[in-house]
Order: sequence, then structure tokens, then C-alpha cells
Amino acid sequence: MNSSTQQRKRKASKPPTVKFGTAPPGDYPAKRFDPFTAFADVKAPGPSTAPASTSTSRNASKPKSRAKGPAPKARPKGKGKEHHRLWVDIYEPTTEAELAVHVKKVEDIRRWLLEAFEGGPSKKLVKYRRVLALTGPAGAGKTATLKILAKDLDFEILEWRSSMAENYSSSSAFGGADIMEGGSWGEDMPAYESMFTKFRIFLQRAISCQNVFGPASSIPRSSESSKAKPSRHIILLEDLPNVLHAQTQAQFHEVLQSLVASPPSSPPVPVILIVSDAGLRGEAGDEGMMMGGGQKWGRSRGGRASNSADGKTGGWGGESDGVVDIRTVLPKAMLTGPFVTQISFNPVAPTLMQRALQSILTRHVKASGTALTISQTRDLVSAVVDSSSGDIRSAVMSLQFACAKRPTDGPTKGKKAKSADKDAAMTLLGVMAKREQSLALFHLLGKVLYNKRKGDPPSISLTARDKQKEQELDASLPNQPPLPFYFKDHERRPSRVNVDTLYADSPIDSSLFSLYVHQNYPQFCNELEEIESVGEWLSWVDSSGGEAWYQSTPHQFYVLTLGTLHSLPSPVERRSQNIGKPEWFDKWKKEKDAWDGVRDVQNWLQLGWDKASSSRIRQDQDDVAGVELSRHWNRTEIALELGGILKAYDNNAAFSQTDSVSFRPPPHSHKLFSRMAFVRDQKGHGAAGGTRNHTNEEDLAVEPLEGDEEAYDVAAAGAFDHAKVEAQSGGWLLNDEIEEF
Amino acid sequence: MSLWVDQYRPRSLDELHYHKELTERLRSLAASGDFPHMLFYGPSGAGKKTRIGCTLKQLFGPGVEKLKIDQRVFLSPSKRKLEINVVQSNYHIEITPSEAGNYDRVVIQEILKEIAQTQQVDLSAKQRFKVVVLNEADSLTRDAQAALRRTMEKYMSNMRIILCANSTSRLIAPIKSRCLLMRVAAPNETEMHEVLKYVAKSVRIDLPPEAAHKIVEDSNGNMRKAILVLEALKMQSPDLTGPLSIAKPDWETYCHKVADLIVQEQSPARVMEVRAKFYELLSHCIPPTVILKTVAERITERVDESLKAEVMHWAAFYEVRMRMGNKKIFHLEAWVVKVMSLYKQFFYEMDISSFD
Repeated sequence: MNSSTQQRKRKASKPPTVKFGTAPPGDYPAKRFDPFTAFADVKAPGPSTAPASTSTSRNASKPKSRAKGPAPKARPKGKGKEHHRLWVDIYEPTTEAELAVHVKKVEDIRRWLLEAFEGGPSKKLVKYRRVLALTGPAGAGKTATLKILAKDLDFEILEWRSSMAENYSSSSAFGGADIMEGGSWGEDMPAYESMFTKFRIFLQRAISCQNVFGPASSIPRSSESSKAKPSRHIILLEDLPNVLHAQTQAQFHEVLQSLVASPPSSPPVPVILIVSDAGLRGEAGDEGMMMGGGQKWGRSRGGRASNSADGKTGGWGGESDGVVDIRTVLPKAMLTGPFVTQISFNPVAPTLMQRALQSILTRHVKASGTALTISQTRDLVSAVVDSSSGDIRSAVMSLQFACAKRPTDGPTKGKKAKSADKDAAMTLLGVMAKREQSLALFHLLGKVLYNKRKGDPPSISLTARDKQKEQELDASLPNQPPLPFYFKDHERRPSRVNVDTLYADSPIDSSLFSLYVHQNYPQFCNELEEIESVGEWLSWVDSSGGEAWYQSTPHQFYVLTLGTLHSLPSPVERRSQNIGKPEWFDKWKKEKDAWDGVRDVQNWLQLGWDKASSSRIRQDQDDVAGVELSRHWNRTEIALELGGILKAYDNNAAFSQTDSVSFRPPPHSHKLFSRMAFVRDQKGHGAAGGTRNHTNEEDLAVEPLEGDEEAYDVAAAGAFDHAKVEAQSGGWLLNDEIEEF
Repeated sequence: MSLWVDQYRPRSLDELHYHKELTERLRSLAASGDFPHMLFYGPSGAGKKTRIGCTLKQLFGPGVEKLKIDQRVFLSPSKRKLEINVVQSNYHIEITPSEAGNYDRVVIQEILKEIAQTQQVDLSAKQRFKVVVLNEADSLTRDAQAALRRTMEKYMSNMRIILCANSTSRLIAPIKSRCLLMRVAAPNETEMHEVLKYVAKSVRIDLPPEAAHKIVEDSNGNMRKAILVLEALKMQSPDLTGPLSIAKPDWETYCHKVADLIVQEQSPARVMEVRAKFYELLSHCIPPTVILKTVAERITERVDESLKAEVMHWAAFYEVRMRMGNKKIFHLEAWVVKVMSLYKQFFYEMDISSFD
């Protein structure tokens, strides 16, 4: 009828691109439906991982499929077909064993899902397992894990897809011939709905309605079991509404909040959010350093240590360059609330990836009959793994690419030719697989603060291969001519750090970088002189340039990095230094609060203390005449000079009691600036300890529900909590690999 | 009722206690019919704002004391909202542009333009012009000062500006040259005694001379501080007799203890500890320059004669850095480390020489 619908149908049924499934044409069941139109405008959830009997048809009718999306499960049948499809789809993991994700992570998610459906041991957790946020860099296996668990635990995934094309198709789509008859609710729909309305409706229906097309009802399944157990499904939100638009974001938050606030439906439908961390490369200007520093870091890659200066993500979402991350997607209150669990994925570990790629390659060799020796593949695979930086999707892509380029004619050309062949593949990989990636923040800091120089003894934890790499690097570093005797103090071995690439790959801007260096450098110094030198560089870098941000020098990063490297001892003594986030933001926030206190006192002084007179002043605000006021107090004066008298007022309880009718006591917030107790904490010796505790607290905050549920089993919950925190913080350090660099 | 400082503040030129010549000059200026832009400067607690208030009253009559407080919102170039308290009467407006931080230029421009473009409508007003009082003029940014300079000339016909600053050193020369400079020196001891006696008489308490002496000695020429201390003391011990201990403000004791930390030990761990203390001070709204000054003064009391000059030299050096830079803590810390290293070196050398 409608041409666009038909087109879509056609497109869907005959997959024209390599990405599409291998549904044999003409093999459709009678009850075919288009997911779009079946849900009116609501873009239908693709029941993508339904049991195998229906999967082919449904997958085929899906309008688009992404490389990482739910790929067809069907194995390729012929050798010929394989060339037209991406390996990412062909060799998509189908069992948990094939998954290149850490077993513990998978276990975490599985447990969460089980608790969401069944409520855990006490059956009470259903209430709290409402939203699961999976975060991590792209290609870490977030979606794949979920798909496999869906199959494993037998639930359906209802997925929301934002699509631009569906905006106006409401009326026309309903004219379509091959649409389900029963779309009665659809007729009352207005002709146009905003994207967001659709989203809201989708969520409502997905939660409250059973999927009529689900396996239980649409296909008479032979097994009784699926009927006996009510079909379970989850809502997957991966393709989110535009949360960078402030209004949409507010609406989105509201929807999620109301979702969480309402009691769980039966059967419970948990919502799973998948948010990929976008890499941010920081060469940005320093404007709004005071505010922006924290915000930017808050969203930068691997932003684990959530920033407390980061109180109002919403406001900044619209203003800054805008990167979708978990903090823009979920309001802070929810993120730390009991209903949301966050599980963050790390980049795929090299060993896991190596194994996964190796198995893919073996399968490929088996299937295609290309003669590749094991040793050849091993080299290839490790080269791919090296360049992939933990993104398994891109790794599989480059692997396919590398193999495709391999001449397929005769593999027997002698050893020489073979090695040349291999080299070609390697160079090719070098060209194409160098992903522009930003360094993880802690990696960057580690590189600078550990100050590795040519000829440093290799660390104990290094593998033989890394050692060799280090040696190669050392060999490539030219020796500098010795300095004249009067510069002997400045004699250093050549540094292994390449400041150019460091700058290019830095995830943060130089101003924030300087804060991090400042926070952490004293631990890396042995002598006061070294500290003096780094401190001097920091001070110099901060004060160079003009008053305004746009006058700051573009060389800050270089000067700071080189200066720090030059000043630090070499080699840096390892004593398990803890790299932490700057206290600066916390203190800055505290200072802001204190200034608010000063402002309160200022108002108090200005309006006089009489309750009567102050209320009169409020009334007379619009009066032209005005009233007599005390003179203006300078804020600095208040902070510096009023401490004593405010204290006296606090102590003098009698005074405030007798006059309590007419006396307006000073605002309590004055204590924020007027009270200072000098305490020397012996334990912390400063910042690193404090920051570490802080991080742990945040980890705890992610899982506060155990505290909430303490009623049912205090001991067990506590133990669980602890294990969790330890696992998280342990994994945290390992994966950032500070020690390695 | 309010603080004694506010309650017994002189309201007119006649009530002022000290600096009689200055008062006379102000009186004749106000009577002359014309009035220049003015810059009042002098140490804090000397009575600058009091004199400004009195001058305004002399100029416009009691109408200036009828005040309104407004909160005005300005938009920074990056569309950030800045809220500024504005105190105004029919005849004058008083603002503290430095409350807007780096965006004070916007505030200055907006407010001045607005004032300058409205004529005085009150026909019974004594003067044709309105007065703009700018507090904390010495913390204005260069931008704001440059903006001010142009406006001062342009709107001379219906606006006068009174600047109030602690020192003129941070004001650009063109502004200084456009103003009549009024130095308000700190009162000397006899003058302070006189004022204290006046306040005591007004609140009807008996002020023993020893107490007065102690207060004056402690307040170091800061009249406001003296009266505040008097009031605090009165609350602590109503009859003001016996041994009086004037408590230093918390932050000052804190700074002194930080100085002691620096002198006691010089090591990376100590640097971290001192940093934590500095953060604490900064987050209690103590201006970094004040911290630097207080700590440095305390250190000079503690170290050898030969080091004092160095300590102060570097304090000055890093104070300049602090003004140029954004992150105060960097410079405070750099200074501390410098001092520590100097101190350590000093002892090291002493050891060597004692061996010889």
C-alpha cells in the first residue's frame, strides 16, 4: 500500500547487506508482523533472542541490524556466503564459554537478573532490582553478555530503538496490508507523536503488557515448560533518546524515576541500560576551569571516581560538548539510589581476547580451508590484540580484514614468501588498526609520575614480551651528548615518555592534568628538592599566560609534563603509591558552601537582627522609600573578623534566650567559615588516603540497597557488600594497570 | 539592634571622631556644588565606608539612608548567571563588583550604563548627579578597570563614582588620575581609645582602662575589629574586669600552627600535611594572600635572622604568581616547599661549618 512500508518490508525480508541474517527467502511463517507497525508508532521491541524456532523470521523482519546488535544465530551454511558477512556476526559468541568477558562480570549480571526476576534468597530484592546500568568502553562485550544471558536464563529482550524515519508514519503505516488486525489501540493515536511520547508509551506497554507475539502465545510450542513459567522479559535501552537535550533529559529522568517509584509489575520487568563510555580527547580549552574541570572529568573516559563537584550534570549537558555517559543518562540521585545497579565493564583483557580471536581464526581456517599455520595465526592474533586496546569488536574486524587481504591462491611459496606475507599483514594492521584512542587517565598519570627512563631495570611483573618491547624502545632512544659540568645537575637519561603522543592522547585538558599531578606528585618524590622543583613547575605553569583563560599558553601541557619528568627522581622508587583524584574539587565545593554561609551572615548583618524590622524590610522591598539599613559588609571582612563575635553569640545562650522574641540569631551556616579546629591526623598524612576512602564510599553508594534490606539478613548482606566492594576496588587497580606503566 | 559596630557608626560628618581635617575637606567638597569622582583608600577598619556614608548624607540629606536591597542577575558572556546584591537609595547605588569574580566587567558596565542613562527625577534632590559606590575596587580585574575608565569620562554629567579600596597599588593609573584621592589612615591609639569610650558610654557599660588598652593593642589600628572585640568580650565577661584574654580568630591560630608545622619538619609527608591544612583554610573562605602573609610572618618569627629576608622574598614572589594564576594552592605549596628547602639547607650548612 504505502510505498515506504513496502520498501521497508522488502528491505527487511531480503537482506541486502552483509550484516543481515541468513534467513532463507520465502521461509516466513504465516503470522508475520512488522515490529514498527504492530506497535503503531512505538518502535517495536525486536524480540531478538527468542527461542530458535522463531528467531530467523523475526530477525529477518527487523528493519536494521547493527554490527553489534542481535545478529542471527544461524550458522553460515555455505563457504560462499561467508565472504559477504562480517566475522563479528558470523562468529558472535553463542555460549558463555565463548564470551570474552570476565567470568565474574557475567556472574554479577546473572545474579542481578535472577534477583530481578525471582528476588534472590529472601524474595524481597525484586523491589530494588529495577534498573541495571551496564557501562564500559565500546566493544567490551556488554550487549553480547546480555544476549547470551537472555538465552541462558530464557527471557526476552524488548529493545527500544530511536529511529528518525518513523516520525510521521503513523497514519500511513496503518494502511499497510500486512499489519496485524488487532491494533485497536493504535487507531486512536494522534497523527504525530513526539519521539519522547513514543518512548514513554513503549516503556509503559513493555512493562505492563505481555508480549502477545511472545513464544508462549504466538507459536504453539511443544514444550509445556514455557507455558508453565510465565514468559519473562527485560527492557533493553541501548539506543537512548537524545539525553543531551536538556528537556529530553529531564523527561527521560522523570520517566525512569516514576518507573522506579512504582511497585514492580508481575512478572517483574527490569530495565537494562547499556551506555558506552565515549572516549574524550582533551585538548580542549580551559574555559570554565573552575566549574568545567570537574564536569569534564566526570564525563571523560573511564570516569570512575565520580566527582562530587559534579552535582548538576543536567545543567551542563546542554552547555558543554556533550558526551553521553552514565551520568547524563541517569540522574545522580538514582545512580546512588537503591534501585539502580551499575556494573561497569572493563576493556577486554588481552588474554581473553587472544583466546577468543584464536578460536575464531581456527574456526575460520576450518571452514574456509585456507592454509594458515598455527604459528602464523598466533602472530597475527597477538598483533591484532595489541592494537585493539580492548575493543573486541574492532579486533575481530581487523582480524577479518587482515585475513581477507591475504593472497588466497597458493600458500606454498616457500618460507621466505611466507614471512614476507606475514610482514605485509602486519604492516597492514599497523596502518588500519591504529585506533585513535585516548589514554585512560590513570595510565597517563602513571606514565608521567613513574618517570621511566632508558635503562631502568624492568619491573618484576613484566612478561618476557613486554621486557623485550622495553628493550626495543630503549634502543630506539638516542643517547644525548653529555652536558657541560655546570649543568651536571640536569643530566638525565633519555625518557621513555613521548610527550607528543601523551599530549595527543590525553583524556583531560592541561589544567585538570595539573591538578592531578599536583595531587599525586609528593608520593613519588624522595627528597624535598624534587618536590620543590615539581612545585615550582606547577606554580609556573599555572601563572604563565594572562589573567583570562584564553590568554593561557598552549604549551602548558608540555611544560608541565617535561618539568615534572625532569624533577622527579629516576627511577621512581616503588612503594605502592596510590594515585587519587584531586581533593581540589571537594575543597572547592566546601569553599563555595562556606561562602554561602558568609552570604547568609552578610544578609543577617544588613537586615538588622530585629525580627520585626527584617520582616518590615521584606515588605518594603517594593516601597520607594526603603528603610535604614546597616552598611554593606565586605565578605572578606566577615570571613576574617567576625569569627570571634559569632562564637561569642553561640556561647552566650542566655543572651539569645532572653531576647529571643526580638532577636534574630546569626544563621547557623556561619560555622562553615568561622569555626576551624586544628587537628593533626597521623593516619592519613594527607590526601592519598582520604581519596581512597572516598572512592570506596562511592562504590558503597552504588550498592546501598543491601543496607536497606538489612532487615532480612544483616550478616549475609554485609558480607556480600564487602566482597563486592573489594572485588570492585581490586579490579579497579588491576585494570588501570598503573603498576605496568 | 545590630552589632555595635553598625549601631554606633557615625552617620554624619559631624559625628566623626577622628581625622578632623579630612572631615572638613569632605564637608567643603560636598558644599561646593560640584563633586569629583573619589577614591577612598586606607587600611581596613580605618573608617573609609563610614566616611563615604557621611559624605553622601552631607550631599543628599537623610534620604540616602533609606535603602533598598536588590538582587540583580547578570549574564556572563558564557551565559552563566551572576547574582549580585545591590544596595540603593534614590540618590546612590552601592555594589561590590568583585562578588562576580572574573565577570566583574559585565556588572560594572551594566550598572553604570543603567545609572548614567537615567536622569535624576527627584526635583527636590540637592544634586543633579547620582553616586555609584564601588566597594573593593582594588580587586577589580584589569578588564573591569579598563571598562570603568571609559565610563567615568563619558557619563560625568549625571554620575559620580566613589571607589573604596585598601590600597591604590592594584588600580590602573588612568583611574587614579581621574579620581580625587582620599587617604583614610588608621586611627592612632588615643583616637581609638576615644572611640571605644564613646561606644562604651553609648551602651552604658563601664570600660576599665586596662581592657581598653588591651583591645587597642590587639586590634592594631583596626577600629572595626576593636569594637567587635569589645562586644565579644562584653558577652564573655559582662563586667570586663579581671584578666582578659582576647582570643584570636580561629583561622589565625590555625595559620600559626601551620607555620609551626613547616618549621618543625621538612619532608614530603609534611608537605602533604601542610597542603591539607591549606585546603582547610581556603575552604573556610580565608583569602590565600592572607594565609600566605600570616604564615610567612609567623615563620619569620621562628627562623634565623639570615633566613627572614629569603622567606619574605619568596612569599612576595609566590603572591604575584598567585594573582596571575588560578589555582592558589599550587603557589601556596610551592612557597612552603621553597621555605622548607631553604630552612633545611640552612641547617645543613650550619652542620658543615660547625665541623670545620
